[in-house]
Parts: sequence; structure tokens; C-alpha cells
Amino acid sequence: MPDAADLLPGTLELLVLKALSLTPMHGWGIAQRIDQLSGEVFRVQQGSLYPALQRMLRRGWVRSEWRVTEHNRRARYYLITAAGRRQLEAETVNWERTSAAVNGILRVRLADL
Amino acid sequence: MERLRAVLFRGRRRHELDEELRFHLDRDAEARVRRGIPPAEARREAALALGGVDQVKELVDDASGVRPLADLLADLRFGARALRRNPGLTATIIVVLGLAIGATTAVFAVVNGVLLSQLPYPHPDRLVRIFNQNSPDNRWGLSVADYLAIRDQQRVFDAVGLLRTANMALTTPGGEPEQVLAGRVTPGVMSALGLRPAAGRLLAKDDESPAAAPVAVVSHHVAETRFGGATAAVNQSIMLDGLSYAVVGVLPAGVTDLMGIEAAVWPAMRVSTPPRRGPFGLAGIARLREGVSVDDAARDLAGISERIFPVWQSSFPDRSARFVPMNLRESLVGGTARPLRLLAAAVLLVLLVAIANIATLALVRISAREHELATRARLGASRLRLLRLVVTENLLAVLLAGVAGLGLAAAALRLAGALLPRLPRVGEVALDGRAVAFAALATVVAALLVSMAPAAAVLQGRLLASRVDGRRASAGRRANAVRSALVAAEFMLALPLLATAALLGRSFLNLQQVSPGFDPSHAFTIAVSLPEARYADSADGGRPTTADFWQRALQRAREAPGVVSAALTTSLPPNNGGDVNNFNLLDHPVPPGGNEPVAPWSGVSTDYFETLGVPLLDGRLFTASDTANGTPVAIVSRAWAARHFPGRTVLGQEFVSGGCTTCPPTVIVGVVGDVKYLGLAGSGEGMYAPAAQEVPRSAQLVIRTATPPASAMGPVITALRSLDPALPLAGRTLDDRLRTELSAPGRWTILLGAFAAVALALAALGIFGLMSYLVRRQRREIGVRMALGAEPAAVARMIVRRGMRCVAPGLAGGVLLMLLAARWTESLLYGVAPRDPATIVAVTAVLLASAVAACLLPGARAARIRPAEAIASE
Repeated sequence: MPDAADLLPGTLELLVLKALSLTPMHGWGIAQRIDQLSGEVFRVQQGSLYPALQRMLRRGWVRSEWRVTEHNRRARYYLITAAGRRQLEAETVNWERTSAAVNGILRVRLADL
Repeated sequence: MERLRAVLFRGRRRHELDEELRFHLDRDAEARVRRGIPPAEARREAALALGGVDQVKELVDDASGVRPLADLLADLRFGARALRRNPGLTATIIVVLGLAIGATTAVFAVVNGVLLSQLPYPHPDRLVRIFNQNSPDNRWGLSVADYLAIRDQQRVFDAVGLLRTANMALTTPGGEPEQVLAGRVTPGVMSALGLRPAAGRLLAKDDESPAAAPVAVVSHHVAETRFGGATAAVNQSIMLDGLSYAVVGVLPAGVTDLMGIEAAVWPAMRVSTPPRRGPFGLAGIARLREGVSVDDAARDLAGISERIFPVWQSSFPDRSARFVPMNLRESLVGGTARPLRLLAAAVLLVLLVAIANIATLALVRISAREHELATRARLGASRLRLLRLVVTENLLAVLLAGVAGLGLAAAALRLAGALLPRLPRVGEVALDGRAVAFAALATVVAALLVSMAPAAAVLQGRLLASRVDGRRASAGRRANAVRSALVAAEFMLALPLLATAALLGRSFLNLQQVSPGFDPSHAFTIAVSLPEARYADSADGGRPTTADFWQRALQRAREAPGVVSAALTTSLPPNNGGDVNNFNLLDHPVPPGGNEPVAPWSGVSTDYFETLGVPLLDGRLFTASDTANGTPVAIVSRAWAARHFPGRTVLGQEFVSGGCTTCPPTVIVGVVGDVKYLGLAGSGEGMYAPAAQEVPRSAQLVIRTATPPASAMGPVITALRSLDPALPLAGRTLDDRLRTELSAPGRWTILLGAFAAVALALAALGIFGLMSYLVRRQRREIGVRMALGAEPAAVARMIVRRGMRCVAPGLAGGVLLMLLAARWTESLLYGVAPRDPATIVAVTAVLLASAVAACLLPGARAARIRPAEAIASE
């Protein structure tokens, strides 16, 4: 398997919030969705997903509840909270600004200076 | 809210997390199965992808870490889990450090009670004992004449008192007569000590005047048992040796001794100017005035000594004798201080060895966890967080060890009576606040030292630098150096311990080999003290004389069944020097101003030497014709003769004793074998005078029996009782006296030996652990060597050699330490030098051998490594 890129610090939370903003999901589902959304460019270290969720619970960005899955099994679902949506928005804006700036820098040619 | 829930509902959250992760694994595995992977393989891959359920749980715990209280809880929880996961290491820490902390705390409690703690009197540093002294080695108690002079002339004390104990028959109205210790005291003793009565009053100034009515203060125990309570006892009367005393007061409960001297009743001593300066032997005590130093008091007392000398010159001709003050605590603790300090030093060394041992273990363990910690670091745990993880775990274990140690110390102190030699002030020994504080301090220091090495490893960032992918960190060199240094330190500390124990052991064996100079089998002794009230020094028409009593007592004893012979002496081997007397030889007198020589001085009856089994070597023994009217004669021991008249005969030599310049000289008429009067380690010098020429008031009857001495004791005591039923009498065999004399050095040796054995075991364990760890860690390297043709034996040798490289500097340091510490042990040894080379070499060899033995097992394990497996395994 070709090396997948490591996540930039802090990005995992952003991706999780994005995934949860679409629909409440359980942990495994989140991992799958991120793989899928990122086109398998990013590989989420599954082991680090749960600590990240725990941190986000603590910060009040998500909440969790136990639900029954379509296969009739109990699973812990995570739901984005209002605070989480605000955080997602803020982070998205922040990310776009940062990436625009970084892209801009990367495209600079000598002639432009 | 989530934080609070995290803290409060830890158990439920843990349970939920379990379920959540189980669900994750199931789903992941199902997904893989759908992609055509066999179920078993799918489960394995799922677990691999998640990265270890336990790891994840810990990481989630970390993430939920709720600062700061919850963080602490989390740390503790984590630590507890780490301890549970590694029960071997945990048990080792608790056992090793628990034992060490327990032993150290117990010894501290003893040292604190005996040496450090204050006496239970107000301003105890101002209390002094007062002695007579005429040379640095010769000190004796005060006489009534001395006391009166000091009391009336001193300008440095708030109070001065005199005390003397005696066995007395105590009778109370309607009660059984009972032999009790009575302490005759002047009122000054109680005011100097600053006591307060539990009821009534203490002795007052007038109670010591010759015309005063006889009064006494009784102990709380006597008041309770005899009168039903402290208040009830006041104004009652008691009978002591047939004389009536009014009880004026009761001492507080728990006060069973005054300045270390025990008694049940304290009758007032009435003092009047005596006809002569002696007899001596009473305990003088005083309280220094505020701001007055012991040296000031010494000057004042020296002045008094000078002034009273002319008054008493005829009865006490020693001009060189001085009153000297001595700090009360010092005088109580005396010779016990040195062995106790040695014991304290020994147990501290054991504690340090134990700490070094556990620190090594902790380091080995942290290295084994490099991978895990590096993963944590990569997942965002800060260095501080890692540090706390590592340190908490160790702290928790050491804390448990500290608690275990405290319990152990409490148990050990209960056994202290059986383990330790007889100690002064042993009643003060308790696991009190100071001892507990000490245990806490020892625990904290141990925890810090044990955590230091792992903490340093984290802080230096070595772990962070190492890669997550499982390849070994290359940072081992420095950690190895620390580990080696710790093990070396263990050997360095163990060596002086082991050497000192060996020296004490040899010294003890030497002592056992020492001939006491007498035959202890089939003999017993009875101490007899004749009260002045009923016995006169010389015939006065009324009372019988002391000489008379002794003669009849010896006669009765000889007639008792089983008795071979009976004799009288004022001193008794192996540890009762009686009067140690100073003397001046006419042949080569001491220059003016010099210290006269001293020797144990015994007044003995004619058949003393035969009864004790002391051989006559030259001249003659005392005979019935050596009477008070005859020429003063003396017998000396061989060691005395060899010291003062080397290579010459001593028969016919003359001396004056007791500093007397006007007395007729004493002639030496015989030489006998050496008898040890001042302990078995003492010199065997001794001087004897006929008891008939200087009749004692207190003496020991020595009785040799044909039958076992214990069975002959009863009849002899009955025979003596028929002479004077009021005398308190108790017999003791000479064998028993000798055994008691050996018991203290025996017990010190056993205690120190036990500590040394523990240190040796810990050091061996340390090197064993280190080498085992290295072999495990370098499996691959060793495998490569073997693949390249190294013989298994050579590999084993290499491991042992590496171990020796680590141990050798420790041993060298230990020898150095031993040489430096020698002066600590010097005064405790007999017949062996504190730097005895043979002992040091032997002990070094023992340590080296045990180190080699400890390296053999890891060496053998290394030799069994199969190259192919070892190389493939990584």
C-alpha cells in the first residue's frame, strides 16, 4: 500500500466535524467516511480517532448517544452540536484563508516579485 | 459537564468505551470479510488497523484528562493500571523499598527515642549530672559531704539534688510487704527536674534537714495499687524497711524514673554533715541557671573542689579529684551512642542500595516502554504529560512501599525488645509523629530518586526522538551508563556494610574466645547492701558491725548444701569494676600535676581467688593475718604487673592509692591471673586489697557450688535471711552474667549482619537484572556474533565480563568508603583493626563472586541464543 499522507495537526477534528455535519455517525462510520471523502489521500489512524472524539466531546463540539444501528446493534453515535457547527465554520474559514495564502505563496514566480 | 461526567462516571465510561471499540472491531472485520478476506484474517487486520485496544483506551483516557484534579486522578488511575499490568515489578518495589523504609524508620524511631529526643523535663539542656573525676577514665558519684558543699557554695545552679536507690521492703496498712526500688532523694532533685505532683506536694526544702519528719513521695502506680488513687494516698503512711514515712505527694502517672533512675517510692533523704567525706556513689543532679554554660559550671565546681579539699584531706587525700558537670542526656546515653549511630548509618546504606536497585528496575522498565511512549508523543502527548505518566506510576508504587514500610516499622518496634540490645531511655522509643514524618520523608526521597532516571530519559527527549515504527531507539548508550552507575553504586554501598558486619562478627568471635579470667560454671553471686541504720562501720556497742555480718554471712553460705566455697568482693567480673582507684607507685611516681594511673580496685575476702577460680602466679594470697591493724597489702594481676613493672618482679613494690600523700604505703604481696572487670574487651588489669582492711558496706557474695548453682541458690538465700530477714536478696549465676555481657555485641553483630545480607542480595539482584535486560535487548547483536562464529562459552564470558566492568568501579569505591569510615567502627571492635586488610579483601571477593554468580544466568541465556531466530525476530 502506498504511504498515505499523515494528517496535519488539528485537521482530524475538522474532518470529523465535517463528516458529522452531514449526518450523525458512529466511530467506525466516521473513519470510513473520512477515508471515502478524502479519496483515500488521508489515512486516519483509527487509534487516534477515539481520543480525538473524546477531546471534542470535552470541548462540547459533539455529543454522543447510544442508538440501534440498521443491523440491530447498539452503537455509540456522535452528533455535532451548535458549538461544533460554529467551530466547523470558523475552522473552515480559517482553513480556506490559510490554504489560499499557502497556495498563493507556492505559485509565486520570481517574475512576480 | 462532559469533564465532570468523565470524572464521576469513570466506570460507566470505561464500560461504554469497551463496547464502542468492540463494535468498531466487529464492523471493521465484517467490512473486510465482505471484501473477501477470511474471517480470522479480517479480525486480525481490524485489530491491527485500530492499533491495540488497550493503547486506544489509554489514549482516550488521556484525551478525557480533566485538569487539574481529574488529571491527577487520571494519572493515578493510569499508574494503578500500569502497576497491575506489571505485578512482578510492583511487588518488587513494594517489598524491597517497603522493607528498607520500614527498617530505616524503625531504626530512626530507636535513634530518635534514645539519642535525639529531648528528656521529658522542661529545658532539659540545662540539666547536668555532677560527678567526681580525677582522670579522664575515672569518674565516680558524689558523697553527702560533696553534696552539702556544692549546695551551699555553688553560684551557677537553680537547684542541686542527690539521689541514691536501694531495695527496700515496702509495707502499707493492711497490705502485703513487697520488695521495691526506693530512691532516696533530696528535694533539689525534684525541683531541678521541674516536676509537678499529681496530688499533694513534692518534697520541699525543709524535708532534707536532719530534724525533719520522714516523708516520701510515691509513684502513681504505688498510689493506685496501695491506696486506690493519687488523692487517696496523700497523708497516708508507708513503712520502708520498718520505718514509717508520711506520703506527702504523688508523682504524675507515667513517671517511673527520675533522670533515668527507676524507683517506686521516693523518700526524702535527710542530710547532715558526715564525719568523713565518703562514701561516694550517689547520683548528683543540678539545673543550670539560665544563661550559664556547662563550662561555667565546671569552673565553679572546680573552685568548690579546691576549697573543700583541706576540710576532708584526712579522709579523702586525692587533691586531683574535681567535681565535674556532664549534660544529663549525654550521661544517660553514654556508650550506646556509637553502636546506635553505626546501626543508623548501616540502615541508611541499605535504604540507598534499595533505592538504587529500584531505580535500575525503573530505568529498565522505561526502556521497555520506549515504543509506547514514543507513540503517545506522536499522538500529541506533551513531554510534561509523558513525564507525569512515567513519574506517577513510580510514585504510586513507592508510596505503597512507604505505607508498607510504616506498618513494618510498627511491627519491628514491637519486637525491638527482642532484637536490640538493652538500651537506655528505651521507653521513649515510639512510632511517633517524628518517626512517621521520617518515613514520609524517606518515601518522598525514594520516590524522587527512583523517578529521576526515567524522568530524565523523557525530558532529554530520547524517547520522543525514537521512531514509532518499532525500530529500536539508538539512545541506549547514555541510559546504559546511568544503569551501570546505579548498579556500581549498589556495590559501593554494600561493601562497607558487609565489611563492617564482618569486622563486628570477627570482633564478636574474638570476644567469645577471650578468657574472662575466672571459671563461670557452678557459681553464683548475691548482691548485699547493709543499711547504715542497722549496721555500724565500727563497733559502737549498739548495732552489729558490717565486718561481723560479712563473716557470719560467709560462714552460713559455706554451710548450705552443695556449696564448695564462699567469698566476698566489691567488684565482679566481667563488667563491674567496683571502685576504679588511682594510685602512685613509689618506684616511679607520677610527676606533680600529672594524672595518676587507675585500675579496677576490689576489696576481697581471703578465699575470693579460689572461689572464682583465679590462679595465683607469684607471691601469696591474702590470709587471715592481713587485718586492719597489719601492714596494708595488695595483690595485682599479671597484666597490671606487666604494664607497670615490665620485666621486673612486682613483689615487695609499694604504692599509695586514692591520691593520698600521707598514708602508709601499700605493699604488693602477690600476682594473680588476669580477670576482666571492665568488659571482656577490657585490659585485665586489676588490684585487690583485703576486705578486712577496708570493710565494704555493699558487696557481692560469690558462691561456688558442687551441684547446679540454680538449685543451691535457694538454701543460701534462706540461710542469709535467717541473719537479717529485711535484706533484699537475689542470686544470679556467673554464667548468666557472662552471657549478658556477650549479648549486646552479639545482637549488634546480628542486626548489622542482617542489613549487610540484604544489601548483598540487592546488589546481586541489581547486576542480575541489568545483565538480563542487556541480554534481552541485544539478542540480535549477540545472534549476529554467534552467526559469525562466536562460541557460546565466549558469549557467556563476554556477558560476565561486561557485568564485571560495571561492578569493579563500585567495589573500588566501596573499599575507599570503607577506609574512610574506619574511625566510626574503631571503638566498637575488639582484636581486629577497622581497616583489617584480610577482611576487606575477603568481603571484596565475596561481592565479586556474588556478582559473577549473578551474571552467570544471563550469560548462559545469552549462550543459548540461536542466531537464526534472534536475527529473524527483529
